[in-house]
Amino acid sequence: MSGRDKIGDDAFKPSRRTVLYLGAAAASTVVTVRPALAQTAGSVLTCEIPVPGPHAAGSYIAQDGTPVPAGTAGAVPPLARPLRGEEARILLNGSTPPGVNPGSAQAYANYIRRLQSGMSGFTCYASLQMPR
Amino acid sequence: MAAPRYVADPGDAIRLVALDGLSALYHLPSGTTHIVAPPAPEILEALQEGPADAAELLARLRERYELEERADEAIGIRLIELEQAGLVRRA
Repeated sequence: MSGRDKIGDDAFKPSRRTVLYLGAAAASTVVTVRPALAQTAGSVLTCEIPVPGPHAAGSYIAQDGTPVPAGTAGAVPPLARPLRGEEARILLNGSTPPGVNPGSAQAYANYIRRLQSGMSGFTCYASLQMPR
Repeated sequence: MAAPRYVADPGDAIRLVALDGLSALYHLPSGTTHIVAPPAPEILEALQEGPADAAELLARLRERYELEERADEAIGIRLIELEQAGLVRRA
């Protein structure tokens, strides 16, 4: 015997004398965190999709959505500023958001549809596809 | 009418991380995260022994903890909360 109180693993186990209050909390003891996606619904409308992205800066956009050299026949010029999520949604629905040339809308929509993981604007596009 | 018996998912269906006095609980079957305060984790742990009605659950908790006098009134409210959150269901 060392004379010392035994201090070991048992010291960290709940004591049988621990008081558990079942009714002390006036508020609920369970709060459910809304799925993150639901909370990002607002930001989806303001996320941005550059057309085209930095990987093809300066390129024109062919009608099928592929970036092509500037001046290519039938292709449309790049957008001067990134599309916001809400504008992209309008384009994908077949309409033309304000400030976008209606004759270019289809090419831009196809560019967005061709976005893949890792490309600038893909996360925004993917968010637009999520059910809300 | 017999008292309802409650059952919780197995322990491996839950990930529990203790925070400062609260716990973050991730429920794998539903993919939902909850912030829970005592006695919710303790009730879920006690239900790991199997389905129980309120009286049986209180008996299990009394084996581990000291409960207040009116615990028998409060346990039903706590179980309803857990049921509404999808963390327990009626057996």
